[in-house]
Amino acid sequence: MRILEGIWIALQQIWAHKLKSVFTLIGVIIGITFLIAVITIVEGMNRYVQDDFAGAIFGVNTFSVVRRNQIRTGAESDEQRRQRARNPYITMHDVEVVRQAVPDAWRFSYSVDRGFSQVSYNEHSRKNIRVIGGSDGYEAMQGWTVADGRGMSPLDERMSLKVAVLGADIAERLFPDVSPIGKRIRLGSSRLEVIGVWERQGGLLGVIRDASILVPISTFRETMAWQRNRIGEITIKARSIEEMQASMLEVEAALRRDRKLRPGEDNNFWLQTSSDLLGAWEKINKILFAALPGLVSVSLVVGGIVIMNIMLLSVAGRIREIGVRKALGATRRDILFQFLAESSTLSLAGAAIGIALGIGLGKAVDALTPLPASVPMWSIAVSLVLGLVVGVGSGIYPAYQAAKQDPIVALRYE
Amino acid sequence: MSVENEIVIQTHDLKKHYEMGTETVRALRGVDVSIQRNEYIAIMGPSGSGKSTLMNLIGCLDTPTSGEYVLNGQPVQDLDDDELARIRNREIGFVFQTFNLLPRASALHNVELPLIYAGVSSRERIKRAKAALAQVDLSDRMDHKPNELSGGQRQRVAIARALVNGPSIILADEPTGNLDSVTSEEIMSVFDALHDNGQTIIMVTHEPHITAHAERVITLRDGEIESHDAPRTPRAQTV
Repeated sequence: MRILEGIWIALQQIWAHKLKSVFTLIGVIIGITFLIAVITIVEGMNRYVQDDFAGAIFGVNTFSVVRRNQIRTGAESDEQRRQRARNPYITMHDVEVVRQAVPDAWRFSYSVDRGFSQVSYNEHSRKNIRVIGGSDGYEAMQGWTVADGRGMSPLDERMSLKVAVLGADIAERLFPDVSPIGKRIRLGSSRLEVIGVWERQGGLLGVIRDASILVPISTFRETMAWQRNRIGEITIKARSIEEMQASMLEVEAALRRDRKLRPGEDNNFWLQTSSDLLGAWEKINKILFAALPGLVSVSLVVGGIVIMNIMLLSVAGRIREIGVRKALGATRRDILFQFLAESSTLSLAGAAIGIALGIGLGKAVDALTPLPASVPMWSIAVSLVLGLVVGVGSGIYPAYQAAKQDPIVALRYE
Repeated sequence: MSVENEIVIQTHDLKKHYEMGTETVRALRGVDVSIQRNEYIAIMGPSGSGKSTLMNLIGCLDTPTSGEYVLNGQPVQDLDDDELARIRNREIGFVFQTFNLLPRASALHNVELPLIYAGVSSRERIKRAKAALAQVDLSDRMDHKPNELSGGQRQRVAIARALVNGPSIILADEPTGNLDSVTSEEIMSVFDALHDNGQTIIMVTHEPHITAHAERVITLRDGEIESHDAPRTPRAQTV
């Protein structure tokens, strides 16, 4: 009952001095806004990486044979440096070894890619693109479907035809007004006929697909490769996680046998899976979450100090009220609780505003950037608890000052 | 039990000393007061006579340096702060010169305050606060804030607040000090009505025409009781 009285008074105070209240609460508001916004974005990224990104890049139940681990977080590790120095390039010979190791794989493809500084059609051009030489089945492996024209066919590869499928971004840039199908684009010294355009992927992943060009791997090796025999990756998709794990063992054994590695000797190739990527993301995640508490607590401590000072002012301005309340029968504890409830209500109001702003910021990031956002319930709970802790913490000293007032002196206070 | 003869306040050799630097101020030098239920008492005296000190002690806002004080059968001279707060809440209704209403609270909420500290439920509080406001004829003003009320109305809200817990005594400190003479009479008639209903009233004042409402006047001088008198001017003549 007495706590309700404190909450009621606090809400009245906030309402009576709206502008002052906003300034009072700005520290708490900023702290909680930041907390919610960061958690929202990180959590969104988390969900995105786990649900979409890893699956989209590597596919479900999919692994690749590559020369070395391509996922780096920060500086190159010693292991990665050793791999780079030691491991031989993947070749067409390896493709055959792997193919024979897993003859029953659901999907099988291999590819190589390189960057090109530009692709052009007449006066239109697009800079910094990626050209992929993909084997038959590459698009199916990636799950890329054409929106216009057709995809690669086995015939294109067998005949090494000079054809290309374009990412949506590139098609849009080169052919703003006309249909790209059947047009010949210029890529380095080659001229390629556009046979199809993929559906736009958009978002964070669109950076890869929408700015890529696919040509048959045979064509790529004959006309664009720096080293004709080198293959970037061999990708195998299994029907289940168990089958994938079995296939990985088969491939590992076959490659080791073929490369004549002795027992105990390290692999001189790398089997890349989506878990490599998830591991990398978790590392980033850990860093973000390690930095968050420090940043949030700084603004909350500042916010708490501001609230404490405002509460001290409030106590000083209401000495007479305290005297009246004591004369009417309020005990020390009643007054203490009243002011604690008041500072807590203030702080919680700040936390509530911060939560709303944080969610708004997350939603804005979600809407305006490719970064996804998702508000976890626990972050709201944490924010409210933090708001309460700051409120009680910043209210203790002022409330004690209020509670210890002598009613006789307080009643005469002018 | 005879209501007429029941003693509400009994003090014996009540002393209060203050340390002012190296000097000891002897504000009360041994006061014996006995007040019966439904008495109407005025306490008078020049400033420095100790009447404020006596009022603080009677009002349980302070404890004596020595002596005894029995309020409604309970010795209160040795109680601690929180026990005194509970006694004030139950036994004493304060009316102040400057009204001392909470400025941002409605008349009704102001009257509810003592009940909040008594731990009365919300429904019961509102019922009793409305009844107290009706007693001072302010039922139509209960949603008004103090700054929307006249001085007389404010003091009536304060009287309702003093009444609402059913206290043993109403302790009024210069209740008409901030009011004009017409409004003063209006407020004094409220006290008279309360007294007629059996309320015990103790009023600290320095205005002779106010003391005229009282049945008995206690005059203090230099920390001691100078006289216990009937009012110099009979009440009937002033009305």
